[in-house]
Amino acid sequence: MKPAVTVQDLRKTYRQPRRRTGALGGLQGLFQPDYTELAAVAGVSFNIRAGERVAIIGPNGAGKSTTLKMLSGVLEPSGGEAQVLGFTPWRERRALAYRIGVVFGQRSQLWPELPARDSFALLRRIYDQPAEAFARRLGELAERFGVAGLLDQPPGRMSLGQRMRCEIVASLLHAPALLFLDEPTIGLDVTAKAAIRDFIREQSAREGQTVVLTSHDARDIELVCERVIVINAGRIVLDEATEGLRRRFLARKLVTVRSAAPVLEVEMAGVTRRPSEPHTTVLEVDTARARVEAVVAAALAHGGIDDVSVEDPPMEEVVHEIYAALAD
Amino acid sequence: MSVARATAFASLAAVRSALADRTAFWLQAGGMVVNNGFWLVLWFLFFTGFRQVGGWRLVDMARLIGVVYLLFGLSTVFLGGYRDLAAAILRGDIDSLLTQPGPVLPRLLSRESMPSAWGDIFAGLVVLTFSAKLSLAGAAGAAAAVAIGASVWLSTAVIFGSLAFWIADARSLARDLMDFTLMVSMYPASIYQGWTKILIFTVLPAGFIAVAPVELVRDPSAGALALAAGAGVVFPIVATVVFGAGLQRYRRGAAPAG
Amino acid sequence: MRSTPPSLTKAARLWVREALADLRAAAGAFRLGLTGAFAAWPALAGRVAFYAVCLMVLGAFWGKVGASRLPGTLATRLPPGGLGPYVGVTEWIIISAVSVQLRFEDEVRSGALEARLLRPRSWALLLIAEAAGGSAARMIAIAPAGFVLLVMTGLLPGPQALVRTALLAVGGAALTLLVYALVGLSAFWVRRVLPAMLIAQKLMFLLGGLFAPISLYRGWLHVLAFASPFAAQLGFPGQAILSMSWGGFAHALAAQAAWVTALAVMVALAARAGVAKTLREGV
Repeated sequence: MKPAVTVQDLRKTYRQPRRRTGALGGLQGLFQPDYTELAAVAGVSFNIRAGERVAIIGPNGAGKSTTLKMLSGVLEPSGGEAQVLGFTPWRERRALAYRIGVVFGQRSQLWPELPARDSFALLRRIYDQPAEAFARRLGELAERFGVAGLLDQPPGRMSLGQRMRCEIVASLLHAPALLFLDEPTIGLDVTAKAAIRDFIREQSAREGQTVVLTSHDARDIELVCERVIVINAGRIVLDEATEGLRRRFLARKLVTVRSAAPVLEVEMAGVTRRPSEPHTTVLEVDTARARVEAVVAAALAHGGIDDVSVEDPPMEEVVHEIYAALAD
Repeated sequence: MSVARATAFASLAAVRSALADRTAFWLQAGGMVVNNGFWLVLWFLFFTGFRQVGGWRLVDMARLIGVVYLLFGLSTVFLGGYRDLAAAILRGDIDSLLTQPGPVLPRLLSRESMPSAWGDIFAGLVVLTFSAKLSLAGAAGAAAAVAIGASVWLSTAVIFGSLAFWIADARSLARDLMDFTLMVSMYPASIYQGWTKILIFTVLPAGFIAVAPVELVRDPSAGALALAAGAGVVFPIVATVVFGAGLQRYRRGAAPAG
Repeated sequence: MRSTPPSLTKAARLWVREALADLRAAAGAFRLGLTGAFAAWPALAGRVAFYAVCLMVLGAFWGKVGASRLPGTLATRLPPGGLGPYVGVTEWIIISAVSVQLRFEDEVRSGALEARLLRPRSWALLLIAEAAGGSAARMIAIAPAGFVLLVMTGLLPGPQALVRTALLAVGGAALTLLVYALVGLSAFWVRRVLPAMLIAQKLMFLLGGLFAPISLYRGWLHVLAFASPFAAQLGFPGQAILSMSWGGFAHALAAQAAWVTALAVMVALAARAGVAKTLREGV
């Protein structure tokens, strides 16, 4: 099968005017601007199969959103090649636009004051869809994403989770073959995040959409994507199946215990103590070797416990570790 | 007296911070001078063509415009917080002020200063100096008119802004009412008759901001002085009462959420 | 037809198809702007009130100017009923215009533009069409107020003049939006559109004859005003309610068509250059 996305040595270099100090410097800068070059993306190559769900992750400023912009056609690269669904994105932006759907978690494409239905009606015209087929598809998607009862409400009056589901419906209305999701769960509570992840996974499985997702939330990546591409400083540092990544880097939980005693001793295989403040114990649990319940139970057994929380290690930390591991 | 001193101190701090970015200051103040200059040229052209409007000539108009520019500029430079009072109320900015000793209103007014308003002060002084043909007594009258007009203008703005204590989306309403008032105060007083005259002495009190005070320059009389000075005293009292009532309501937790 | 290479006819068909889709999308955006403006009816009512206050003041002003026809002044050249109806029309156009330049500025500066570029339609076209819908709603809401004022002051012109005025006002509204759009597109290069807007406002005021007909001007100012797009935008529609022959109407309409075309081309070129800059440099 032909890949949905092929990327060959894609690069983007920004030129930034260098600011000079002093009044004279500022004046000089007007006539003789002095530029510094900044390589946001310094040559990345990868392919994505049709129907594959891939996460692109990396710290802020790593180049992941620049890559996504170039692949969706809204930014011209400084070098390299890319094909998305058979199009060169930056040369065939309009044609590609019919075939891709995009969701920006922090940017709405719906009119906040008008019923969602009105925004959808305009999107039908923007994507030039026949009325009947469109109405059928809207009905299906609204049912599937649980927003059928919300269509006459303005998004401005919906909860963030409801709004995000409407955004995803909006991006799927023209039946795109490829879905770009930029931070689709940002700001949502735990339940709403879980619902969005289920919807995206099921949608892609049902219609065979290729999904490319960026997120700061390790769970988004684990639960939605089969493969992870890690970008740092404009380069790909890791490209592998989520399963392998989970085994190596995500198979850990952080158990934080706050206790009356200044220190809590929990000695178990697969559990390491992290440095922390007094009365707070942070335990890193390797879930392949120890069960989280067992660790929590062992901590509670000490008595005098004020609070226990279980968290995933933050994504920044995971990426940092991946990077450190690769540097070795 | 300590309230006045604290207010003056806060006001000067706001003015200094508005002047801190020199480039922005000159750009904004200079831009405002150009903007005001355009209207002056237009009025000049108008009076060249039409000579008078209901007895008002160029010199009358220069006096009116000079006084209004000056009172607006001074209010906005030194007590510029009035401009977005409604937003400050709706945002809950007064919460922190309520925890401090002393009255809230002077603090709200003195915490902001608009750099562009220096352009209004400059334009007002230029107009009054060069086109208003003022005698020494006239200059004193103009000074009184500016003081009275500024007092009524600030009071009016406080009353409009205080609507935010009762109405949730008062921000644009307050701004529109201020714009209307300023707009109608920039026309020759002779055009207002019948119910437009009622309008400018009630809902949009341009009559007390510009028309009545400027009479002190155009045609000073005991009656004119009594009317203008009366307004200059009554309006601040009304504004203080209205704001105070709103503040009471706010403290009881009955104010609308922005 | 036979002699045309098949690829060329295919390209032409594709072009026509895309153009029609653009128009349909613009119509959709127009409708959205229209319904959106009516849905926010308190703001609409406020705008009608603003119009009424403006006209009361300006009507009183011109009424006073016309009242004493001082010999040797321009007042002798004023129409018998004063300039109230004229200002009523120019203000109708200006107060109805949606500040689309702020939308352009906001989308360019916040980067929201990028999300719009992911769609297969022209971003600028959709923004202008939506603003046109909002402006249309405002014109419809304000029209009865203007009509009532005309009746109350006894200055209601004949039906033919009303039709001519309404048609030219639509053209004037279109020109206003195009001027605002050009101002808004300056955001690609100067970030803030306010300076450009202040200049545009002064030009509308002076060359468009927002408050006084440009027919009263003399000399080079008269020539300049008539040669500018601002006369077609405000001056001609305002003149239409005072006195205008069918010949004058035809001339005004032709001037509007020419300026709409010219400004639309400028907007399209500026939007294209701005988008190209964004595609190259990012936001």
